[in-house]
Amino acid sequence: MSALPDDELPPNMTVASRAAVYLRSGGFVAPLITVLVAFLAGGLVVLATGHNPIETYQAIFKGTGFNWVFPWLSEDDRTIAALALQQTLITTTPLILTGLAVAFAFRCGLFNIGGQGQYIVGSILAVWVGSSFDGMPALLHIVVAILAGILSGAAWAGIAGLLKAVTGTNEVITTIMLNWIAIWVGVWLFGLGGPLQNDDPTRVDVPVSNDVLAGAKLPVFWGDAQLQGLHIGIFIALAALVVFWVLLNRTTLGYEVRAVGFSPDAAEASGINVRRNYILVMAICGAFAGLGGALDVMGWQFRIATNDIPANQLAFFGIAVALLGRNTAIGTLLGALLFAGLINGTSTRNLDPSVFEPQLATNLTYMIQGLVVLLISTDVLVVYLLRLRRRRRTQAVAA
Amino acid sequence: MRRPLHFIALLAMLCSFFVAACGSDEEEPATGGSPSAEETPAKEAIKVGLVTDIGGLNDRSFNQLANEGLERAKSELGVETRVLISKANSDYVPNLSTLAQQQYDLVIGVGFLMAEAMNTVAPKFPKTNFAIIDVDATGLESKPTNTAGVLFKENEAGYLVGYMAGLYIKDEGGGTASSVGGQKIPPVDAYIAGYQAGVKAANPDAKVVNGYSQKFDDPAPCKELALDHIAQGAKVVFQVAGGCGLGALDAAKEKGVQGIGVDADQAYLGDQIMTSALKKVDVAVYDEIKAVQDGTFKGGANTIFDVKSGAVGIGETNEVGAKYADQIKAEQEKIASGELTDIPNTVK
Repeated sequence: MSALPDDELPPNMTVASRAAVYLRSGGFVAPLITVLVAFLAGGLVVLATGHNPIETYQAIFKGTGFNWVFPWLSEDDRTIAALALQQTLITTTPLILTGLAVAFAFRCGLFNIGGQGQYIVGSILAVWVGSSFDGMPALLHIVVAILAGILSGAAWAGIAGLLKAVTGTNEVITTIMLNWIAIWVGVWLFGLGGPLQNDDPTRVDVPVSNDVLAGAKLPVFWGDAQLQGLHIGIFIALAALVVFWVLLNRTTLGYEVRAVGFSPDAAEASGINVRRNYILVMAICGAFAGLGGALDVMGWQFRIATNDIPANQLAFFGIAVALLGRNTAIGTLLGALLFAGLINGTSTRNLDPSVFEPQLATNLTYMIQGLVVLLISTDVLVVYLLRLRRRRRTQAVAA
Repeated sequence: MRRPLHFIALLAMLCSFFVAACGSDEEEPATGGSPSAEETPAKEAIKVGLVTDIGGLNDRSFNQLANEGLERAKSELGVETRVLISKANSDYVPNLSTLAQQQYDLVIGVGFLMAEAMNTVAPKFPKTNFAIIDVDATGLESKPTNTAGVLFKENEAGYLVGYMAGLYIKDEGGGTASSVGGQKIPPVDAYIAGYQAGVKAANPDAKVVNGYSQKFDDPAPCKELALDHIAQGAKVVFQVAGGCGLGALDAAKEKGVQGIGVDADQAYLGDQIMTSALKKVDVAVYDEIKAVQDGTFKGGANTIFDVKSGAVGIGETNEVGAKYADQIKAEQEKIASGELTDIPNTVK
C-alpha cells in the first residue's frame, strides 16, 4: 500500500525521501520496467549506430559468462564462459557491498554518495595490513586485514554521520568531499616517495603499494588462482546481504533506522535518538563499502597503483544497484549481478568485436546505469504507478 | 497486496515494449547489416591479439602505433586480429589470459607496465606465442620460452631531439630544456636521459629540468608540469608520457615555446611541434606478427630496434626545427655508424 495520501507527491521532497517513496510503491515490477526501458533506450542507440540490438545484447550476455549455466555449451565455450563468469562474480562482490552502503543509508533517509571514498579507505588499510605483518598465521591475517578494511570504512563514513548529527551538514556534500580526500590521500600514500609506496628495489620507480602477502590473500575456489579466479569474497558479500537484512528487519537498531527513514520528526517525538542513528547508520554504510575495498585488494588485485584509485567507478554503480534493488537485500543482489554482468559483458575482453565495438559498448553500460538512476530519481515510473494504483482503488471503491 | 489485474496490466505493457523492440529489429539486418566476416581465407589465418596498457587506444602515441602495426598486418598479411583495451592495472592478467585461452597464435602486450602480468600468464600457456613491447623477456622472473621481448633504444631518439633542443636554446641565447615524463620507468627514462645528454652535447650551457606526472592517460597533470617548467624558463618541452603528454604539448602551444612529441610523429598537433622522437612500435609489431606467420618467431629472446635499423629516429620538423636538419642528420649518422655509443640510459 502506498504510504502517501491520494493527492500529488509533496513538492519539497529530498532525493532520499523520493527514493523512499519509490521503495514503497510498485513491488518488483517498477525496477523491472525501469531496467527494461533503460535497455530499450540502449537498444535504440545501438540501432542508431547501425548495429543489431538483439545480437548486441546476446553478445553482451555471452560476455557476462552467465551462459555458463546452459548445459548445451561445448567444452571450449564452457571454459571461456567460466572465465567470463568468474570475472563477473568478482565484480559482483564489491558491487553488492557498495550497493548495501547506499541502500542502508537510504533506509534511514540519508543519501550516501561516499561509497567510493569508503571503498578506497577500506582498500588502503587492507592492503597495508595485508602486505605487512609477515609471518602472521594466514587465517588471522585475513581476518585482521578484513577488519581493518571494515573499521576504516566505518570511521571514514562516520565523519559524515557525525557532521550531520552535530552540525546538520548535508551528508551528500560531506560524503562527496570525503571521496576526494580519500582519492588524493591514496594517491599520495602510494605515490613516489609516499609513506606506503612499495619497498621492492626492482619497483622503486613505480607508484604502487606493496603486494598483499600470500597468507593474506583470499583463497580462490574456482579457476586459476594466478589468473584471477573467483575468490571466496563473494560468500562474504552474500553474508553481508544477510547481515543487512537481519540488521534492518530483526533488530531494534533496524526498527529505529526505518522509523527515522520514514520521518525523522516522528521518530524523534517517539523517543528515538535520531542523531545517534545518523552516526551509526553512516558508520555501518562505510563498513560495507570498506569491506568491499578490502575484499577486492585481498581477493584479486593484491596491490594498489596510484593511477587505479581515481579510475575506480564501482561505488557509483553501487548507487544504481541500491536504487534499482529498492534498498532491499535481494534487490541489491540482483542489481549487483545485473551491473557486474553489464560491466564485464561490455568490456573489450568479453564482447565479440564483430558484433559491436567494445569501445562503444562500454559507454552503453554507463548509459544504462545513468538511465536507471535517472528514471528512478525523476519519479516517472513512481508517479505512473501511483496513479495506476489510485485509479484502480477508486474503481474498486466505485464498484 | 499485489492485485492480479494490476499485474496483468503491467505485464501487457511490458510485452508491448518487447514486441515493439522486436518489430524494429526485424528490418535491421536488411538495412545496416554487419558484414559478418565469417572466415573465408584461403589458408588458415593466424590469430593475433593485442593488449593495450592503460594509456588506451587513442593515446596518439604508443598504443595507437601498436594498433597501426596490427592493422597493417591485418591488411597485408591477412591475419585475424583483436584488440583488448586495459582500463586498470588489474586488467592485464585477464586480458592476456583471455586471448591465450581463445587460442590466439600470438598475443602482444604493449608496454612495460605489463611485465609482471606477462610473467604470470606466459608460462601458463606454453603453446601460445607472446610478445611484449619495452620489456626484456630474458629478464622476466619465470623465464618464459614462448615470450619475445621487443626493445627500443629510446635514448638514441631522445639524444637526437635533445641535440636539436640544445641547438635551439643556444640560438635563443640560453635557457632551459624541459622534459615531462609519465612514470619513471625504463623506457621513459631512456628517452629523457638521451634527451638531456643531447641537450648538453649541443649546448653545454643549457640547463635541463625534468618531472614526472605519474600518469599516462590524463592530460591535465602533464600540462601543469609543463607550465611550471615554462615558468622556470623552459624554451623546449619534451613530452614522454603518452596521452598525458599531449597536455604538455598543449602548454607549449599556449606559451609559445617549442614542443617535442614522442613515439609517434606528433607534428599534426600544431606549429609548436619542433619535432618528434620516433619509436616505430608499428614496425616492431608488424615484424613480430610476420615472424610468427613465417615460423621464425623466437621466444625467450629480445629483438632490439635502434637508429641503425631505422625504427628509432626523429619525425617531421617545423620551421624552427628545419634549420638544424643537417646537424641532426650528422649526429644520426654518428649513432648509426657506431661512432657515438655512450648515450646514457638512466636519468641521474
